[in-house]
Amino acid sequence: MSNSMIIGQYVPGTSLIHKLDPRTKIVIIFFYVIVVFFANNVLSYGLLTTFVIITIISTFIPLRFIIKGLTPVWFLIIFTFLLHLFLTKEGPVLFEILSIKFHLGGVIQGLVISLRFCLLILMTSLLTLTTTPIEITDAIESLLHPLKKVKFPVHELALMMSISLRFIPTLMQETDKISKAQASRGVDFRTGPLKERMKAIIPLLVPLFVSAFKRAEELAMAMEARGYQGGEGRTKLRELTYRKKDLFIFILFICVVALLIYVRS
Amino acid sequence: MDITFKNVSYTYQPNTPFEHNALKNVSFHIPSGSFIAIIGHTGSGKSTLIQHLNGLLTPTKGEVKIGNYTLSSEKKLREMKELRSKVGVVFQYPEHQLFEETVEKDIAFGPENFGVPTSTIKKRIEEIMPKVGLSNDFLSRSPFELSGGQMRRVAIAGVLATNPSIYVLDEPTAGLDPKGQKEMMDMFYQMHQEEEITTILVTHSMEDALKYADYIIILNQGEKYMEGKPEEVFLRESDIQKVHLQVPESIQFLKKYNEKFGTQLPLTRQSTKEIAAQISRTL
Repeated sequence: MSNSMIIGQYVPGTSLIHKLDPRTKIVIIFFYVIVVFFANNVLSYGLLTTFVIITIISTFIPLRFIIKGLTPVWFLIIFTFLLHLFLTKEGPVLFEILSIKFHLGGVIQGLVISLRFCLLILMTSLLTLTTTPIEITDAIESLLHPLKKVKFPVHELALMMSISLRFIPTLMQETDKISKAQASRGVDFRTGPLKERMKAIIPLLVPLFVSAFKRAEELAMAMEARGYQGGEGRTKLRELTYRKKDLFIFILFICVVALLIYVRS
Repeated sequence: MDITFKNVSYTYQPNTPFEHNALKNVSFHIPSGSFIAIIGHTGSGKSTLIQHLNGLLTPTKGEVKIGNYTLSSEKKLREMKELRSKVGVVFQYPEHQLFEETVEKDIAFGPENFGVPTSTIKKRIEEIMPKVGLSNDFLSRSPFELSGGQMRRVAIAGVLATNPSIYVLDEPTAGLDPKGQKEMMDMFYQMHQEEEITTILVTHSMEDALKYADYIIILNQGEKYMEGKPEEVFLRESDIQKVHLQVPESIQFLKKYNEKFGTQLPLTRQSTKEIAAQISRTL
């Protein structure tokens, strides 16, 4: 069903990237996303591309799998490239087809924007590929902790996040199961006029909602039975701790950024 | 309708790190009108196998033949809806598929999709309700206000209403009370006998497999591990225990009894009562 979607899919592993503190990864990604926009010449883009490629290789996730995960966004990348190709009228004319002039500036601009897109998506999907959803929520809770002083419900937000993340696969499975049961009863989700297909959603949605509500109720009961009362005074099973490798990666990243600022024109 | 599996393999999420071979080179033949039990440990590929029987999955390799319909990776089956109207699948916990406002509408949902005229559906519902052990008062009620067992019966009625010539039952009795379990199985067995409906039962209950099935297929890690008549298969106790399954208690008992008292009581598909009668005769 969602074979080509890798955003949000975790691939277990034991690489250095997998073992980093999730907070390190989130902070680095956060700054990386900003830094990508600093690059403005061949050297700086080359540096970033090398950085991304080395990171991908060091996760030991098969390259084929990562590239396949880009399939949903290929369209977007190609679309932006074409947009720049046609609309940017800068630099000398390269060639002319059917009286449309293609400028060198357009080609370069298109390539640069597409590359920037790839750099952003590859790196951010690496975060979810190497970090379990639970780790990400823990990291966000810990990073947002200072906001507690202004009465921001950090723990509740994190709990909501982890519960929703936890139930995505369950709901996907449930959807798959119910759609198969209804398909066996003659519902056709794939062909037929749009109106009919819209109608076919009802036998899928009603049971899904029923079971989701039931599940929510059961979960609430199970949490209460185990004495859950909210974040106050609650200890953690997995404490997040920064280690030497986090420091190492941070320094490495700062070096890359410094180098980037040095080589950019 | 005959069912034939020819070297069927199925792979989930091929070419990803999550690749999983759920079925490996499985072949067997089910003659029309027989009662087959498919047993195996959790994760042995039973659920994957039965999804091939009405085209929910098509084999990655090999070929599945159900009557005149062929499922293979090369060609897409055009008459998928026709096939699905002939194969009635009762999934695990079928009550999760209920969605209509009334029991009657929900039972009619399947046959309506397959284009059965309304008058025929009405007639069928009237016949089916007593078979699944529900009175006609239920028809106007909402399926969501029924008890778990009643919901299960409604869901099963919904599958029976399409009048299939093959039943595929994936643990139809899981989660029912013992009395309900027996009633449900007896009902399916009766329909199988009366109307010669080919029945494929996936079960964890060796007792049910012994009691109802003419033929047993044991799966282990996606491969066909053993097949044969129940009274033959269950004699190979050590082989069965190797794949973490248990021999039915009645057979275990009979074997131990024969060993201990040097008797030669035959192993057939007799019930506990019949065993007791046989023993009392030898005493």
